[in-house]
Amino acid sequence: MTRMLGNSQDATREILAASARGLTKTYGRGDTEVHALRGIDLDLPRGRFTAIMGPSGSGKSTLMHCLAGLDQASGGTVTVAGTDLGSLDDDTLTTFRREHVGFVFQSFNLLPMLTAFQNIVLPLELGGRRVDDAVRERAHTLADVLGVADRLGHRPAELSGGQQQRVAIARALITSPDLLFADEPTGNLDSTTSAEVLEHLRRSVRELGQTVVMVTHDRNAAAYADDVVTMQDGRIA
Amino acid sequence: MRTVLRASLRIHARRYVAAAIVVIASVAFVVVIGVLTSGARAGLMEKSGAPYRGADYVVDAPVDGPQRGPSCCPGTLDTSDAIALVERLGENASGLGRVDLPAHREGGAPLGSGDFRGETTVGPIAAAEDLRWQKLVSGRFPARTGEAVMHVWDAQAQEVAVGDRIRVGEGATATDLEVVGLVESPTTWTQAAVYVTWPQYLQWRDSPTWHVGSVAVRGDVGQLPEGMTVQPVAEYVSEGLAGLNNDVDAFALMLLLFAGVALVVSVLVVANTFSILFAQRLRDFALLRCVGATRRQVLGSVRREAAAVGVLASLTGTLVGVGLGYGLLPLINTLAPTTPMGVPALPVPWLLGGLAVGLLVTMVASWLPTRRVVRVSPLAALRPEAAVDVHTATGRARLALAALLLVAGLALLGMAMIGDSTVVMLAGGASVFTGVLLFGPVLVPRLVRVTGALLGPGGRLATENAVRNPRRTATTTAALLVGVTLTTAVLTGMATWRAAMDEVSDRHLPIDAALISLDEPLTTDLLDQVRRTPGVEQAIAVNGAVARVTGFDNPIPVLTAPDAAQVARDGGAFAQGVEPGTIRLDLGSFVDPSIRPGDRVTVSVGDRQAQLRVISLGSGQTGVVAPETLAQLTDTPEPHVIWVRAAPGVDSLQLVDDLDGLADAAGAEVEDALQARAAGNRELDILTWSVLGLLGISVAIALIGIANTLGLSVLERAREHAMLRALGLTRRQLRRMLAAEAALLSVVATLLGTTIGVGFAWVGYETFVKRALTRATMHIPWPSLAAVVLIAALAGLLAAVLPARRAARVTPAAGLSLD
Repeated sequence: MTRMLGNSQDATREILAASARGLTKTYGRGDTEVHALRGIDLDLPRGRFTAIMGPSGSGKSTLMHCLAGLDQASGGTVTVAGTDLGSLDDDTLTTFRREHVGFVFQSFNLLPMLTAFQNIVLPLELGGRRVDDAVRERAHTLADVLGVADRLGHRPAELSGGQQQRVAIARALITSPDLLFADEPTGNLDSTTSAEVLEHLRRSVRELGQTVVMVTHDRNAAAYADDVVTMQDGRIA
Repeated sequence: MRTVLRASLRIHARRYVAAAIVVIASVAFVVVIGVLTSGARAGLMEKSGAPYRGADYVVDAPVDGPQRGPSCCPGTLDTSDAIALVERLGENASGLGRVDLPAHREGGAPLGSGDFRGETTVGPIAAAEDLRWQKLVSGRFPARTGEAVMHVWDAQAQEVAVGDRIRVGEGATATDLEVVGLVESPTTWTQAAVYVTWPQYLQWRDSPTWHVGSVAVRGDVGQLPEGMTVQPVAEYVSEGLAGLNNDVDAFALMLLLFAGVALVVSVLVVANTFSILFAQRLRDFALLRCVGATRRQVLGSVRREAAAVGVLASLTGTLVGVGLGYGLLPLINTLAPTTPMGVPALPVPWLLGGLAVGLLVTMVASWLPTRRVVRVSPLAALRPEAAVDVHTATGRARLALAALLLVAGLALLGMAMIGDSTVVMLAGGASVFTGVLLFGPVLVPRLVRVTGALLGPGGRLATENAVRNPRRTATTTAALLVGVTLTTAVLTGMATWRAAMDEVSDRHLPIDAALISLDEPLTTDLLDQVRRTPGVEQAIAVNGAVARVTGFDNPIPVLTAPDAAQVARDGGAFAQGVEPGTIRLDLGSFVDPSIRPGDRVTVSVGDRQAQLRVISLGSGQTGVVAPETLAQLTDTPEPHVIWVRAAPGVDSLQLVDDLDGLADAAGAEVEDALQARAAGNRELDILTWSVLGLLGISVAIALIGIANTLGLSVLERAREHAMLRALGLTRRQLRRMLAAEAALLSVVATLLGTTIGVGFAWVGYETFVKRALTRATMHIPWPSLAAVVLIAALAGLLAAVLPARRAARVTPAAGLSLD
């Protein structure tokens, strides 16, 4: 079953950021076999903020990992920005992630020994790009938008949780990814800071035309999204 | 708590593997030394104790009694008493002794060759088969007078076969003996070329060298006359070997020094392992405290864990050491047959010592890290996981102590250089080195950053990772620092020593080889042949005359060599510096040792004479004079000598052999400095390589330490690596990052160690090399040092292989969902 989301009933493939067809994921073998995903069909349109919701163990994180090319699916196909992820080997998949996908995690998201600025430009550096004036300017613009411009020289340990998460968003946006995944981005934050972070994510969709997919079990967080996909026992409910 | 202990051991077993390997290596090192020492001792016993095999007691002359034996041989038995004793005990006694006698073949040709031509040594053989210590190789033992066995080596050298007859002795005691067998006997004071029955041996009792040194006795000895003592065999042999055993002990002590270095390195590595492991499990400990475990219980559990690792590793190390040691014994016997190693009984004290050392290393190494465990508060378990503390504070006290040690050590080193004191030098060196180790957490990360900057932006992550935990970084590098410092100090010291020795021999023996002919002048044809000989770089003919010089029995060539620079190692200075009226001679070849530099000698060629002053040491068996002096002695100088300069790296033995051949054909003789120099170099080489090999064990342990630290850090950073992978770090980049981190650690340790090592070598040079060889200059072996750094970098990369593979195997998603 193909499920079209929200009011984009007539969306064509061109305006899809990502899509999944018959996606399954199985862990273990025999008695210990766990079906994390049991056949997911999903289309993620460009320029929208989608929330994937569901209780613990519903498979929402696994779905995100497969969509983001962090994990290989057991069956089915995942297409991101027109590329079938199943056809890529580990190295090309990694390069693909570097260029087309951005991530914001619940925690452990910044490298402790790098400054905020170094963390933000890290994805570009991993791609072998020199940190030139253009990069520096973009990093500062993003930091400005996210309100951490004055914290760029600090290490993560010297930043508050909210500031760390906003640095992480800047890092995810620096490559202008086709898709930005956020895995419980507010899980470790208090409600005020959560609201700020979610507002930033929504602004990146509205103002920068970014596509954002957020995994959360927090109903309040999901309320910031344009579309909500609910998962239950490895299926879209 | 026992459940906790067992579960921890089971779960963390893999993380202890590296620590265990390190302990195993050190314990095995100690045990191998024990086995080899016992083996060497057993070998000595086997050899020297051979004549008493099968006996219970040895009858010998007392060490400090009056001399009763024959005048030739002090410390032997009174001959009549010894004969009486052997007669009384009959089959149960084996008299041991020897006599030198003239020996001829049937037909009267003298037996043997060289200095001992026409002479042989004869010893008795025991009547009882059990007491015979000679091993029969062919034929049979002599059964009666008139029969003899010969040592197989002598028989081969003198071309005597079973069935031949030889005539031993002269005049009235001359006896014809039939050789009925060949034997082998170990080299001891009782070894002889020919062995005969006791009654036969008695026949020569009036010969001046005939003696009985001791009597090996089976069973009861009975009443002994004055001037004889009796001792059990084992006691007698080991007492007799005290001197040699002391050498073995000294050697074992030297090896133990290296084992000590390895142990220190092990302590560092194991301590680091424990502190990393405990740091990673701090939350577990806090949780235990939360659910009601007391400090003592947690501490006890952790200590028992360390003890369990120590016991297991020590036991394994002992087994490995025993296996390795006993395996090495036959190998040494094959490679170096001149130092026979016996197969010893298990050296129990050594095994226990090794075990104890292993336990001690583990317990000492776990002491500090476990103390830190106690300080954890139960609350730590409830707090969210703290961010990695990037800057572990280095205590002020620690820094102050480090500064104190550095300053004091440098002062001591300065004093050592002025005062020529090795003890002060060692104390100063130890103090400086400890200071550097304590400074490690401050110093090493900075050095890593500087070195890491050379890797460019790609190496930044590796650099940051390498320095994120300064103490861990410092301890990891410290372990390698110890081995590298000592290695480079040895390399530099040896290079300096060798350069100094070379300089001395260049000055004293400037000519590699000389062909000398006293009778006929040497032809240009011969010179051409010499020049064509492979390995000859240059050869010149030197003009001179054959002269008689006061103090020399034989005439020597006196020559002048204005073009010595072409061949001489000292650039010809020795030949050009001779002024008229002087002669440069090799004083060592003077027959008359009373002649000293500055004395006047008379040099005569035919009927011409010159009074010349002797200067310095010289050029072998020739005298070098100024051209004017030679003109004074002869009108027709002729080439009596060819000087040869060997090409670098040539096989000296082969070259001297070739030159010998040419010289023989021309009726000349060869004199060379090459072989002595090659032998000296070989000794230094063996010494250098042995020391490096022994230090290599410490370096290997330190590298295991790097692999271990990296491996544990990889576990700790699994989540970070997963995130980096998610952000677009390829597997290859991840592996490279970890390899760069390990290489950074090892290269920084090596560079620092090389600097300190060269510094120590310089102090050593100032303290004792310069005193021994005044003209010695410091020589830094750049290629060797570069090789050390390169090897360290490669080894660092190697150390990263396993951890990096492991880290790269985890998929980003799996890493992110890790707990």
